[in-house]
Amino acid sequence: MTKEPVKLLEDEGLTFLTCMQCGTCTGSCPSGRYTSLNTRRIVLSARRNKDVYHDENLWMCTTCYQCQERCPRGIKIVDGILALRTESVHMGLMLPDHRKVAGLVVDKGHAVPINDANKEKRKELGMDELPETVHKYPEALDQVKKLLEVTGFVQLVLEEEKDKSEEGQ
Amino acid sequence: MKPVSLFLGCIIPNRYPGIEKATKLVLDGLDIDWADLAGASCCPAPGVFRSFDKVTWLTLAARNIVLSEQMDRDVLTICNGCFGSLTDANHELKHDPAMTKQVNKHLAEVDMKYKGSAEVRHIIEFLSKEIGPEKIHDAVQHPLDLKVALHYGCHLIKPSKERDLGTVENPVFFDELVEALGATSVDYEDKMACCGAGGGVRSALLDKSLEMADAKLQHIAEAGVDCIVNACPFCHLQLDFGQVEIKDKYGHEYSIPVLHYSQLLAIAMGHSPEDVGVDLNFITDDGFIDRLRG
Amino acid sequence: MTEQEAVTETIKAEEPRIGAFICECGVNIGGAVDCQAVADYVATLPNVTTAVVNKYTCSDAGQAEIKNAIKELGLNRVLVASCTPKTHEPIFRACVEEAGLNPYLFEFVNIREHCSWIHMWEKEDATHKAKEMVRMGVARAAKLEPLQSSEVPVTNKALVIGAGVTGMQAALDIGDMGFQVYLVEQGPSIGGKMAQLDKTFPTNDCSICILGPKMVEVARNKNIEIMSYSEVEEVDGYVGNFKVKVKHKPRYLNIDDCSGCGLCTEKCPVEVPYTEFNEGIGTRKAIYVPFPQAVPLRALVDKSVCIDCGACSKACERGAIDMEQQETFSELDVGVIVVAAGYQVYDPEPQHEYGFGLYDNVITTMEFERLINASGPTMGKVVRPSDVQPPKSIGFVQCVGSRDKNSNIYCSSFCCMASLKNAQLIKEKYPDTEVYIMYMDMRTPFRMYEEFYNRARDSGIKFIRGKPAEVTETEDHNIIARVEDTLTGEIVNLELDLLVLSVGAVSTESTEKIRQILKVSRAADGFMMEAHPKLKPVDTTLDGIFIGGMTQGPKDIPYSISQGSACAARATRFLAQGKALTEGITVKVDEDICVSCGMCVPMCPFQALSMEEGKLNIISALCKGCGTCAVACPTGALQQSHFKNDQLLAQVKNVFAYGEV
Repeated sequence: MTKEPVKLLEDEGLTFLTCMQCGTCTGSCPSGRYTSLNTRRIVLSARRNKDVYHDENLWMCTTCYQCQERCPRGIKIVDGILALRTESVHMGLMLPDHRKVAGLVVDKGHAVPINDANKEKRKELGMDELPETVHKYPEALDQVKKLLEVTGFVQLVLEEEKDKSEEGQ
Repeated sequence: MKPVSLFLGCIIPNRYPGIEKATKLVLDGLDIDWADLAGASCCPAPGVFRSFDKVTWLTLAARNIVLSEQMDRDVLTICNGCFGSLTDANHELKHDPAMTKQVNKHLAEVDMKYKGSAEVRHIIEFLSKEIGPEKIHDAVQHPLDLKVALHYGCHLIKPSKERDLGTVENPVFFDELVEALGATSVDYEDKMACCGAGGGVRSALLDKSLEMADAKLQHIAEAGVDCIVNACPFCHLQLDFGQVEIKDKYGHEYSIPVLHYSQLLAIAMGHSPEDVGVDLNFITDDGFIDRLRG
Repeated sequence: MTEQEAVTETIKAEEPRIGAFICECGVNIGGAVDCQAVADYVATLPNVTTAVVNKYTCSDAGQAEIKNAIKELGLNRVLVASCTPKTHEPIFRACVEEAGLNPYLFEFVNIREHCSWIHMWEKEDATHKAKEMVRMGVARAAKLEPLQSSEVPVTNKALVIGAGVTGMQAALDIGDMGFQVYLVEQGPSIGGKMAQLDKTFPTNDCSICILGPKMVEVARNKNIEIMSYSEVEEVDGYVGNFKVKVKHKPRYLNIDDCSGCGLCTEKCPVEVPYTEFNEGIGTRKAIYVPFPQAVPLRALVDKSVCIDCGACSKACERGAIDMEQQETFSELDVGVIVVAAGYQVYDPEPQHEYGFGLYDNVITTMEFERLINASGPTMGKVVRPSDVQPPKSIGFVQCVGSRDKNSNIYCSSFCCMASLKNAQLIKEKYPDTEVYIMYMDMRTPFRMYEEFYNRARDSGIKFIRGKPAEVTETEDHNIIARVEDTLTGEIVNLELDLLVLSVGAVSTESTEKIRQILKVSRAADGFMMEAHPKLKPVDTTLDGIFIGGMTQGPKDIPYSISQGSACAARATRFLAQGKALTEGITVKVDEDICVSCGMCVPMCPFQALSMEEGKLNIISALCKGCGTCAVACPTGALQQSHFKNDQLLAQVKNVFAYGEV
């Protein structure tokens, strides 16, 4: 069951209802200058319980936190956007490249894993080919994999894309 | 000063190993008690994984923190993303017992338990608070007469409520560390603006992300600097490799070398630019490297 | 045994006969609490003679019912379960007193704020709770004792602290009613902030042109003694009998000999790059007259920069200069105190908000007022600080330091009108200038204000609905404000020659010092707190002390003047009657138990306690009944009358009488 945005944000302690639509967030947004993201409108849509989950602008936020720092109402805008994104992902909405990155972590424990070119660079610098991370310790990687399984993450991100919100319609 | 474990993250060891090496040289050179954080994973990256599932984000972050707790060391990060993810997760877990309980239930599957006994540090605030610009200055063997465009990056200082690092509008603590090496931190338009990489934007919406980097680089170019200095490998990647991508896509060519502060400090402490992999960047400039060598 | 003690003993000896009156307050209480059920329950409790429900107990009918019951049923205690004692306790105390009962034999239970309003949707539980609350009240009522408040004479003089427009108005009104007023002002002239303003909304009269005559009127009023360049240091005493110590700061000249001619200023060689009156803009000398219309028109020396060259002494024909002058003190006896100590404008510098303090061409409203003022440092020519050139485009940012959790959450209320005024003045003086106002909401209530706003719109001022996110500076020192026009969703990078920050009001350190001296409550916003936000807007919880103008929170000139008059009217009641009642609830000491440890003495915020020859002495007139000392007393010798241990414990014990409801 998808939660309505107002309820979702309230449950997370991130309410947008005190927003007075002053636009400080939009003016602060480095992304909004180049993308269609208008932070104030995201906040407005969410507080009006509109379906922000399908709004692709949700994914144009770089989470720089400038809007949240400056908001005169102290609204945790970025944290709220992250919560809205999470709900959206749980509805089955995920950008293809994000699914790939998630897959890398599930496989290798790193979002950006080592490759041959960088093994070479490491050697050139007189370092071990593999860093002191899950790359070097298979049992550590097993732990990570186990955790990603028990939290349900593997299932969440590796399922084929489908919009669960539209199921049964 | 509590001993630290060195948390590498993903991009530094796997894309810019020179930063890893430089950091270790610097920590040794400043007599800081550090150790590898063996078996650590992705922090996990705050913009994307925190967006996907909060409990997974917290669980994986908690595992990395627990590794450090087990060594009785604070976690030292050298990446804004890792710092942001682990600091925010640590804060969340310390203040939300119900969430900690849930996370510990998962951690129990791998015989781990989050206690909340370790702090998460970032090398810049760590050097600023624990060592200080004066002592850094004393450690310099080879002053760097450079004009530097400093890029703080976002998650080093924001959200500020969990950071205790002062103003986010006009911070100076990083500039002081740069100037302690003999360099000049040059002001430029929108200095505090994001590089555009974070939040999963670079990974999924590369064009949009590069437009932000392009604007940032343009402002830096206008200021006429020798190089960019940052404290985050993701910003580093965006501003270094990004220059290659921007040239391909928009035909804008900047050719501004990019250094992580660890690299700059290591060089100032007497190591060669090649020692710390400055020549392994995508944007390289022999003339600049010669100047670094002095 | 005194007479009062005898009465007390008689009443204590009588069996308590309590009448309980449960008020429905229309649906305020009746909507959530079943009042009849409460009354039926209360009627079964010990010592309760009668328990009834009223629609409105405070109405004439309700009060008549109480009086009748006292007479007909011989009640010796009355309990009303209704609303807040803040507004209604005096009414019911007076009611029982009229029926011949000592007013302190009245017990008040608040089943509205403490019950019905907060349990609006839990009717059953609300009724249950109301029963318990009234049961506790009944237990305490049975233990109540009669108390006497005493009458004290009132010194028929007033102290007004602060001679801005509010304080001046209060002083004039009190003076005109025939009472003597000491008007203490910390600055070298009266007039306050209003003297610095250019024009005043909504009629755009020249500020000093309308304030100047008032300043002169104050100086002429025979009943007003102006103490300029003076500060209140200490205040002791209580309503009718305040003792005030005032410090007179040295001007380094004899104020009676100085004529304010300015010869000394002409000869002074020390040029100071700062003027208080012009908000720092321009220069003044080390010896200076604050401004041409100053009252008193007298010079003063800024000792921090004076080089003791003696030029001023030589220049002064009247020999007024006295470089050896020391601070002096006055001791004043007054009956009432009016505080109109004012405010300061919000300072955006520490955080460099909108580049203030970083970029030359970002200024505040007050600086703009001095720039556009014909008697200001530029003779009224608006120029931008970086190059002293007239700006071709000017932007105003509203709500700087107001309506913002990062600074002050409150609305400063005058800034919208101030910017509308200043924007219009620019349009009148320089019609070709582009003028922008960046705002979140324009707030223009009160007579002629909305009309004023209409006129501003008509004059071609451009309004952008959005709060600027950030401000940068170009190479030629232009200011770029990055703001979302929220009505179109467009991000605008507005390039301006001059940016004016419409700064709000905050309380000042000096006002806070006075607040602490007087022990007036402080509200969450930092301003002084009134006794009641609606019904007692200029009273404080301390008898005989009144607050007005910006001291009580941000407001504009008409509102401030109204409050000045209101303070005068409220204060003069005491002066006119020549007497005041002191609190009947005071602390008493049981000398048999007191071990003279003296721990209570420093606890008293009102200096009512002292140890004299190893014995505790209580000045009842000073005691406000706060109870702080009684809590500190290790032996229990100090008992707060009306809140004695047995009275409170009876109430507490009845909290836990579960199952008896």
